[in-house]
Amino acid sequence: MITAELFAELNSILPSERIIEEKNNHPLGNSGLVKVIPKTEEEIAAILQFANEHGKKVFVEGSGTKRGFGGLIESADILLSLSNYTGIVEHVVGDMTLTVKAGTKFKELQEYLAQYNQKISLDPFCPTSATMGGIVASNDSGPKRLGYGSSRDVVIGLRIVYPDGKVIRSGGRVVKNVAGYDMNKLFIGSMGTLGVISEVTVKLRPLPKYESLILLSFPEGQMDEIRRFATKLLDSTMEPVTLELLSPTLSEKLMGRNCNTVAIGLEDVETSVRYQEKFIQSIQPDHTELKILAGQDAQAFWNQFYSLTPISPTDSSTSTQTSLKIGVINMDVTTVIKESHLLSDTHNLKVEAHGGLGHGLCQINLKGAKEDIVSAIQQIRESVTKLGGYTVVKHLPFALRQEIDTWGQKPTHFFLLDGIKSKVDPKRVLNPKRFVGGI
Amino acid sequence: MAVKGIKSNDRHILNLANIVGDARSIIYHKEDLIAYDCDGFTLHKHLPKAVVFPKNTEEVAALVKYCAEHQLPFLARGAGTGLSGGAIPLNGEVIISLMRMKKLLSVDFENRRAVVQPGFVNLKLTNSISDKGYYYAPDPSSQYCCTIGGNVAENAGGAHCLKYGVTTNHILGLEVVLPNGDIVEIGANGIPDEPGYDLLGLLTGSEGTLGIVTKITVRILKNPEAKKTVLAYFDNVEDGSQAVSDIISAGIVPAALEMMDKTAIEGVEAAAFPVGHPKDIEAVLLIEVDGIADGLDEQINQILGVCRKRNVREVRAAKDEAERGRWWANRKTGFGAMGAISPDYLVQDGVIPRSRLPEVLSRINKISEESGLRIANIFHAGDGNLHPLVLFDARIPGQSEKALEAGSACLQVCADVGGTITGEHGVGIEKREEMRFVFTDEEIIAQTDIRSVFNPDNLLNAGKLFPMPGRCVEIKKEIKERSS
Ligand SMILES: Cc1cc2nc3c(=O)[nH]c(=O)nc-3n(C[C@H](O)[C@H](O)[C@H](O)COP(=O)(O)OP(=O)(O)OC[C@H]3O[C@@H](n4cnc5c(N)ncnc54)[C@H](O)[C@@H]3O)c2cc1C
Ligand SMILES: Cc1cc2nc3c(=O)[nH]c(=O)nc-3n(C[C@H](O)[C@H](O)[C@H](O)COP(=O)(O)OP(=O)(O)OC[C@H]3O[C@@H](n4cnc5c(N)ncnc54)[C@H](O)[C@@H]3O)c2cc1C
Repeated sequence: MITAELFAELNSILPSERIIEEKNNHPLGNSGLVKVIPKTEEEIAAILQFANEHGKKVFVEGSGTKRGFGGLIESADILLSLSNYTGIVEHVVGDMTLTVKAGTKFKELQEYLAQYNQKISLDPFCPTSATMGGIVASNDSGPKRLGYGSSRDVVIGLRIVYPDGKVIRSGGRVVKNVAGYDMNKLFIGSMGTLGVISEVTVKLRPLPKYESLILLSFPEGQMDEIRRFATKLLDSTMEPVTLELLSPTLSEKLMGRNCNTVAIGLEDVETSVRYQEKFIQSIQPDHTELKILAGQDAQAFWNQFYSLTPISPTDSSTSTQTSLKIGVINMDVTTVIKESHLLSDTHNLKVEAHGGLGHGLCQINLKGAKEDIVSAIQQIRESVTKLGGYTVVKHLPFALRQEIDTWGQKPTHFFLLDGIKSKVDPKRVLNPKRFVGGI
Repeated sequence: MAVKGIKSNDRHILNLANIVGDARSIIYHKEDLIAYDCDGFTLHKHLPKAVVFPKNTEEVAALVKYCAEHQLPFLARGAGTGLSGGAIPLNGEVIISLMRMKKLLSVDFENRRAVVQPGFVNLKLTNSISDKGYYYAPDPSSQYCCTIGGNVAENAGGAHCLKYGVTTNHILGLEVVLPNGDIVEIGANGIPDEPGYDLLGLLTGSEGTLGIVTKITVRILKNPEAKKTVLAYFDNVEDGSQAVSDIISAGIVPAALEMMDKTAIEGVEAAAFPVGHPKDIEAVLLIEVDGIADGLDEQINQILGVCRKRNVREVRAAKDEAERGRWWANRKTGFGAMGAISPDYLVQDGVIPRSRLPEVLSRINKISEESGLRIANIFHAGDGNLHPLVLFDARIPGQSEKALEAGSACLQVCADVGGTITGEHGVGIEKREEMRFVFTDEEIIAQTDIRSVFNPDNLLNAGKLFPMPGRCVEIKKEIKERSS
């Protein structure tokens, strides 16, 4: 129940139909007693200013696809949703830059840009529901990061509403800029703990003239062979935009082959793509199977891939799901995929995993009994730590997040992170306890 | 115990000498300090208290700790090629030079990364790995001498950053000595997206005001299979800049897209690396595409088509690597070449939305006419990064001030069209007040707040990057008046 007083205060900022009382806490946590849906930046600022002055806590969401990602508090006072703060602010076709409001859905933007033969060169999961603000705040990226980088390489400007309601711009609308600190970087991946991103400006890329996808499947137990192949390809002058290793279960689901498969994306003019296909065929290891998907078939594969991640908050209580983001140095991806595959036997889990051999980031989705999930996460985290890498739990029901730290050990330079948080959000209004070390 | 060969009564000098251990690792006599009174920005000079040359991270940390304990201002210095005055000891700093920490520590080809000390020279990295077909992408024109530590501090760019990104896109890890002497390691294993705020991104481009970088893990890239380079000559600047805009909006991503105007051409042709550009043309474009050889012809044809549509007088492709090398030498020594046609020059560094190029160039032309100073334009046209070079003679009273004013007016034009005041050279001392062209007071405070987390006493490189508090209002007015 929210108090009449809180309602009245919010109602002085927003009409009542955009103030929604939340009856139940969400099983993934990160709920609010009341959800507010601003339509202007002024409204966002007024809500934050109100919260800051009255000691209220605010959770921020785009479309809430990441509710299971971090957070040790079940519910805040206010859940600020950017779902209605949407639309394109400016698209300068000739400059290849785009400014959008943070609640705009990624897929809508890509469809709009395609008319101009342009795209945002990011490939986040769940593009239909993910918002531009959420993608930037959670620094989500997919396999094509190898070719095009991540939010930190693509975002050139932000507007941020600070916890006290002031609006700060970082970066700008030009593609090169070193005026002052690179403040964009602070907010990218900050999980909404420093400010509410209201506008995002990105640099665009041309749509590739042609694309294809080579799926190269290896017989079981040939991780060394995979590693050799990947090293050879990376050491050549070919320019794959993905070099993603899929676990046998994931490969089965996506293409019906139960074995480790390397997905090699090629995007360029057609002559160049064809030439690279030939090269890869020429170094195809013995006993592997190679399949080429061209154009729309390649796109269809990726669309299925991005929509895969099986996170449903309403899942039955008998099985729990989790999604891990793991970072290791490039070639250790083979070890991570191998070890995660073993969990299906040792922990009786459904495992789907993939990782980029050219950038070192892996995602592992697990499904099974609660205790098994917990123990599997601990086991994987331990072995990844030995490799010098990290494990972030991108999704876990609220109750289990008390047992397993989403972010793992605090880094030794934690005092700097905490110092930044204290400066920007001294009253700890925004997304409290959502981030590393309880920030 | 005193270090042998030190002749000073100043206890700080003696103590600093003790930390670095020998008399060759410290400079403290006035006549020797003069070499360190400025960097590549020469319009401001100040003597440091001392210059020390640590050999390793521990010595850097000890020096910093000493300075912090005794409230001595200090700053880091690489090769001193910075163009905005970042390494100038405004407050009589102790300069901590990283020039003796210049080792390549390791290269890991399989995982495409290299670890260097901060004093390692940019070009040496590429030279050390080129036999295996690899290179380090950020290529500032000063790359033969500037340090990677200095590149990190300035987030340096270069001609090939259009396709491959600037320094920040290539940094995977940093070891940093904080202003209190603590050593922190961020991204120790060079793995992307380490949990936490992106301190790598924040530190890169912080102009030496948040900490001293003592070790750097960078990404290395495989050389492209092939490159094609063309020169395009235009009879008017308008056509040349339209061609740039057309190439970008046609969806071509050249590796580099550089432009020089008539005055710049006069300079480079009079200097050490002339290549025979016609004397009577108004603009030259240097365009490079790279990638898979089989795909390049198509791109080149598209570029030629665009140039023809914009009335190009002549286009030439480089016949061989030697010719390509000469063209790049001619371009990359462009700033210094101005010395051949003018006693002094001031380099500016604005950025504009690429489609506004024609308009901005004509406004810069007007500034030149009004100030009576010639302005040459050399720039990374592909990403809208302009380098107007204001030519002047410092011996003539009043000309230096005029040059500064003209430079500032150029930046105002960039800001007016939605651009920014610096694309790669940094703010330093030079553009402190111009920060107000692009940021509000609140936005500047948001940044100094972050500085105070790292550098609470502001002993490290104080007085750089941000407008001087208190004075800002008057300066703002003054600059407005100057440029109107
Ligand atoms: C069913 C389903 C399953 C998914 N599974 C996965 C998966 O397994 N792995 C994966 O990587 N992705 C997954 N995603 C997609 C992923 O969540 C999105 O790609 C995207 O990164 C999040 O966008 P969002 O708008 O939903 O963000 P939200 O979930 O709303 O927010 C993410 C974070 O950013 C903050 N935030 C959001 N907007 C702003 C803003 N404007 N300013 C400041 N902070 C903000 C939030 O407070 C939160 O901390 C899944 C999505 C769905 C619908
Ligand atoms: C002819 C010429 C051409 C140039 N062309 C380009 C170009 O194309 N692109 C471009 O981006 N720049 C260019 N520059 C500018 C300059 O070379 C770069 O800014 C370069 O990165 C500076 O490196 P440096 O080693 O000389 O640093 P310095 O000038 O010594 O220092 C620059 C700043 O970095 C700080 N610093 C240095 N080392 C460290 C460290 N280890 N830790 C923390 N802070 C540190 C200093 O305190 C100072 O603030 C050019 C300069 C010249 C003279």
